[in-house]
Amino acid sequence: MSIKYFNDPARLWGLTKIMLGGVQVTLGIFVLTLILSIPLGMLVALGRMSKRKALSTPVSFYIYIMRGTPLMLQVLFFWFFLSQSLPFKPSRFAVVVFSFALNYAAYFAEIFRGGIQAVPVGQREAGQVLGYTRVQTFFRIIVPQVVRNVLPAVTNEIITLVKDTALGSIIAVVELMSIAKKQVSNSTSIEPYVVAILLYLLLNGIAERLCKTAERKMDYLRR
Amino acid sequence: MKRLLALVLVLMLSLGAFALAEDNSLAAVQEKGTLILGLDDSFPPMGYRDDSNNIVGYDIDLATEVASRLGVTLVCQPVDWSAKEVELNSGNIDCIWNGMSITPERQENMAMTWSYMNNKIMVYAKNDSGIASKEDMAGKVVGVQAGSFAEEVIDTYEDYAELRASIGEVVAYEDYLTALIDLQMGNIDALLIDLVVAQYKLAGMEDDSIVAVEALEDDNYGIGFRKDDIALRDAVQDTLVEMAKDGTIAAISEVWFGEDISTVPVA
Repeated sequence: MSIKYFNDPARLWGLTKIMLGGVQVTLGIFVLTLILSIPLGMLVALGRMSKRKALSTPVSFYIYIMRGTPLMLQVLFFWFFLSQSLPFKPSRFAVVVFSFALNYAAYFAEIFRGGIQAVPVGQREAGQVLGYTRVQTFFRIIVPQVVRNVLPAVTNEIITLVKDTALGSIIAVVELMSIAKKQVSNSTSIEPYVVAILLYLLLNGIAERLCKTAERKMDYLRR
Repeated sequence: MKRLLALVLVLMLSLGAFALAEDNSLAAVQEKGTLILGLDDSFPPMGYRDDSNNIVGYDIDLATEVASRLGVTLVCQPVDWSAKEVELNSGNIDCIWNGMSITPERQENMAMTWSYMNNKIMVYAKNDSGIASKEDMAGKVVGVQAGSFAEEVIDTYEDYAELRASIGEVVAYEDYLTALIDLQMGNIDALLIDLVVAQYKLAGMEDDSIVAVEALEDDNYGIGFRKDDIALRDAVQDTLVEMAKDGTIAAISEVWFGEDISTVPVA
């Protein structure tokens, strides 16, 4: 296997430039999925914990489907299903974000549920004794502790999400992975994979750093 | 009673409209202003990604010119080759135009054009694999592209049933270029691939360890449209004939193949 890029700075720069274009799309999927799936995950967690069977049963089933089938299958299914059943043509990018948001919401919901249930009942009781309403207790006393509890698990999901964006390539969304694949094919050299590895590591390095900072910020609660 | 009569009338009218529905596939494309071409963007020199990740190729040059003569813009949409029929029928693309072999099965499922180029399905092998004829593939690992004509030939053609049974393992790749790299690295022993693709790619690989063994089947490339989109197909065919007559196709073929190898019927 011959070296075609690493001995030719101009060609390597050209390759890096088009792959950075893919990074933009990868980041787009990543950011939009987080923005959609975290609030949705919160709602799903609350639904899952509801005492009303009519609510908690369907929500449990939703989590079961989302966690029980491959994300790749979900992306393919949603693409062909939505592109045939909607009155308009959704973009491939939108379908990837849609599938990812639904899938990640299920995982986040279970993380949030664990985080909420880990807060001792005494905290809620104390809030009520101090005259807080149920809603005030939830947002002022429970939520800050939940955030601290779930951060390590959420960090894990975020790192997985950066890598999962590569699944966009199966419905031909031109993100980092698909560009790497096409350029390996085009050049018959595996160097584009090496560039992709470095770019994914860079993205996850940044994501990890941000999550660590957030964890440290929340540490004041621990005293 | 009046209401029933009205209902029957409406039903009859709508049925009538259905029966009289004209094939407006050409008008629909011209109205939206784009012709969406579906391709596997790893199929040089017909349609593939260049160093700048742009989709280029012989088919792309032809289609760009056809689209412009039809007064629309060409949009290239990469698809998974094994899902191309679903993409076409769900309306995500208007045609499949990417060195697609004309096969009886595809003619059944799509409105295909006549052949615009000849091709052969070839056996290529690593020079140290000891494969000198197709029979030598017995017990070896052989690659094909998933959803390709080569795969159909080896999997379903009666004439090759015996050969298929003798092959050690058939590996189906997502695209031919990955398969070529694997062949070059010795991860498979032989590859069933389109002559047009192999010749073009191997010329650029500066590697003589991959050799042509023999041809399995003669093959013709055509363009596939939805079964009912006859008007669109005919318009594209007529435009291609026009381009063959005025020398445009010869010029494009010259660029990609160094000679005019088009089979677009001029008469």
